[in-house]
Amino acid sequence: MIRTVQLTRPFAAALLAVVLAACSTTVERLGVEETRDLSGAWNDTDSRLVSEEMIQDVLARPWVQEHRRVHGRAPAVIVGEVRNLSHEHINVHTFIADMERALINSGKVKFVASRAERGQLREERKDQELHAREDTRKPMGQELGADYMLQGAINTIIDVEGKTQVRYYQVDLALISLADNTKVWVGQKKIKKLVKNSRLRF
Amino acid sequence: MRRRALPPPLVRMLSVVAGCLLVAGCATWTQSFREIERHLAAARYAEALAALEHQGDAKREPLLYQLNKGMLLHMAGQYAASNDAFEQAKRLIEHYSALSLREQGAMFVINDAASAYAGEEHEHVLVHLYAALNYLALGDRASARVEALQVDLRLREQAARGGPDYVESAFARYLTGMVYEDLGEWSDALIAYRKSYEAYDRYRERYGIEIPEPLKHDLLRLTQHLGLRDEQRRYQEAFGITAGVDHEAWRRKGELVFMLHNGLAPTKQEQVTAVLDPTSGHYYTIALPYYRSSPPAIRAARLEVNGVAVETEVYEDVQALAKRTLDLKMPAITARALARMVVKAQIAKAARERARRSNDNSLAGLLLSLTTEVATVVTERADTRSWATLPSNIQLARIALPPGRYDVRVELRGSGNVSLGAFDLRDVVIEAGRKTYVSRHVPAANS
Repeated sequence: MIRTVQLTRPFAAALLAVVLAACSTTVERLGVEETRDLSGAWNDTDSRLVSEEMIQDVLARPWVQEHRRVHGRAPAVIVGEVRNLSHEHINVHTFIADMERALINSGKVKFVASRAERGQLREERKDQELHAREDTRKPMGQELGADYMLQGAINTIIDVEGKTQVRYYQVDLALISLADNTKVWVGQKKIKKLVKNSRLRF
Repeated sequence: MRRRALPPPLVRMLSVVAGCLLVAGCATWTQSFREIERHLAAARYAEALAALEHQGDAKREPLLYQLNKGMLLHMAGQYAASNDAFEQAKRLIEHYSALSLREQGAMFVINDAASAYAGEEHEHVLVHLYAALNYLALGDRASARVEALQVDLRLREQAARGGPDYVESAFARYLTGMVYEDLGEWSDALIAYRKSYEAYDRYRERYGIEIPEPLKHDLLRLTQHLGLRDEQRRYQEAFGITAGVDHEAWRRKGELVFMLHNGLAPTKQEQVTAVLDPTSGHYYTIALPYYRSSPPAIRAARLEVNGVAVETEVYEDVQALAKRTLDLKMPAITARALARMVVKAQIAKAARERARRSNDNSLAGLLLSLTTEVATVVTERADTRSWATLPSNIQLARIALPPGRYDVRVELRGSGNVSLGAFDLRDVVIEAGRKTYVSRHVPAANS
């Protein structure tokens, strides 16, 4: 009996150490480029990988020059729906915003406000009609119509065996011409992860 | 030695005993849940939530806390907050799916409740379903679809572990089928309905639940739409229905999907058997859980809208699922309880012998022996934990309606069609080709 009680001493010390460690909140700042995978679910690194690939691809393809050649001006793009058809609640706005920023900053492409954004703008213009000085008033009916819509989907395939999972993500984006429904650019990014969950815990 | 009031081993023993008492507590989980149950019976959700915060499960039983919190918020109509809780619960389910050796050890010395509650199989499925219902109530069909895929993953994983006796959750398949159908994904919807049909076929013998009437029509309509003539003919023969609804005509209408979450799931009770060994004075105690179940007071709900009357059907019998889960686990629970009884008897014996040997300090020895005896009895409690805010059963009715706004009269009926109360659903908006989901919890018939 005594022996068993003594044996628990290091165990109690370890328990105490764990309890004390768990009591304090620690914060460590990470670089946004740093990869830190916790659960194996979709995270910031995946989003960044998708946006890097897509931006590089969309700027390298000839659709912008082609549009300039035919129409003599930069193409205007509107962000449509990116459907989440995956197993996870994924926020698609992060890589879409990355793409939007890179494309606008490249100076080659214009973006027009999406359906959700422009409601507020139209309201403001209506308000200006009534309240703003005439020389600063922005008239209605002068919006720039988009030439292309950015649409896409995220799909996943998950294969599970016991505690091991293979998670496969495929992000497809396409720029579709609003004039004739032709797809001028299709981008794709595939991500594959092997996730092994622990069989044991404390 | 004589000057010391208590010898060091005794101090240690007492601290161990005190520790055991702290860990085990003196009430079973079910007893601590009574207050929440009382508030729920009167549909006082805010008070029930406050009682849940007081119960102390947030720290002790994180998973149960999140499950119950999610459910109470769902009942109170706070769907986004409810899903936050369910997301936490899902993460905890993953975490607890790993085995803890420390807890396994404790289960053989203290009691089964010394391990963290990891949830039962049917609860792992239902958490996704209620999350999906929250998203549907928020009008977020895309996120409901994510839950549908997660349910599929969960069911596949359970089937891989379950062996030939495993039956999928038929209601889970049915609900995911409706989610796909609502998004116009006909083939996915048909696959889900087909799996639901297979599961309901086995539900009949296992839980006495018949294949729901709407499911038959869904199968006929979708097989016809997708051009699967052979399969359509098989269903026509099996159901004895020849005239099916045309898919295009069906799409011009909208649908009201009414769900009744009926009553409260049974809670586990404790049965203690104690036998006194007259020679040693040791109590051999064994505490086992059991379900005290009673059928819910409400048999079905009768909906009246636009001159049509439809009665809800039982789609999932949570009470029966819970009972079956416990029945399957009972041999292991009993074996563990017996092993624990032997371990505790050994501990008590060691304490008695110590007391006998240390004659010089008989009072302390006696105290040690007595405390150990008390601890072995007090710590032997049954594990009565369960997701108790679940309903006893889930009922559903689907009504096809032309687009428009409707007032729906819902009458709750007990056995023998006795009316147990009624309420109105006002201004239910029906859109063409879309489903409108309305969910109501009735924890107790008189609320």
